[in-house]
Amino acid sequence: MHELGLALEVCRMTEERLGADGMAQVRAVGVEIGDDAGIEVGNFQFCLETLLAEPPFRGAHPVILRRPGDVLRLAYLEVDDGRPDD
Amino acid sequence: MAVRTIDVRERIMARNDELAQQVRERLREAGVPALNLVSSPGAGKTLLLERTLADLGDELVISVVTGDVQTQNDADRLARHTDRLVQAVITNGACHLDAKQVLTALDAIDLAATDLLFIENVGNLVCPASWDLGENAKIVLFSVTEGEDKPVKYPKMFQQARTVVFTKLDLLPHVPFKLERAIEFCRQVNPELQFLSTAALTPDGLDEWYGFLWAEARSGARGKRG
Repeated sequence: MHELGLALEVCRMTEERLGADGMAQVRAVGVEIGDDAGIEVGNFQFCLETLLAEPPFRGAHPVILRRPGDVLRLAYLEVDDGRPDD
Repeated sequence: MAVRTIDVRERIMARNDELAQQVRERLREAGVPALNLVSSPGAGKTLLLERTLADLGDELVISVVTGDVQTQNDADRLARHTDRLVQAVITNGACHLDAKQVLTALDAIDLAATDLLFIENVGNLVCPASWDLGENAKIVLFSVTEGEDKPVKYPKMFQQARTVVFTKLDLLPHVPFKLERAIEFCRQVNPELQFLSTAALTPDGLDEWYGFLWAEARSGARGKRG
């Protein structure tokens, strides 16, 4: 439940940053989780994967980055916004 | 087409912590100390509050926000002991209160006329440890019907707390719980913890608790005058 709540918060932060229309463009969501953050990583990853598989997302995948300490943050978003290569 | 990487580096709890700061600010301005009561389910949070409201309600204006996954049974129980509003928050499945829920609940409370605010969190020793509600202190209730090693099983909660309130002390002769051993485990995870003993079903079993609450209320009153 705790992990699901946090995964939902990651989705909210993603929407805040990209807007409702931008969520379909997300390909990957990078989350840093500290060893002392009190998070069951496998459970969190499963919750986030489940949420990212459903609209308004289109199957983005979570990338969990283990860190020392108690850090817990959304590190990056990978998006394919249809713009041509530079 | 290119996949672009957007650097975010934002704490996942940042939004909650921002709202908790707003709660803290409102309580500070109103001079209201807020105590966040946390425990396992069944440790006696609601009974402790029922007795507290009944015994101190004429002298202290106490407001309560209760959190439950479902039902407002706790709020209904407490409302029988006070003419103050008891704000029930039903979390609809979530295992903890968050700062947004508390901030919303404060809108219905007359803080200027409140001496002390209790937040009765959802019974759970895991998740409420991670969610700052803007409280002055987390108070862990630890009943003698539990295992003495709860602090080492749930260290984060005991590390976050300022005070441990042992409950159901009147049952001590009938259970294998060793108080000294429990205190040892508490100190292993947080040497700064303060301890209180209570027995809410005995006539003078809450004297120590009431002494503690009066001290908290007086600290708030100084804030009100200031």
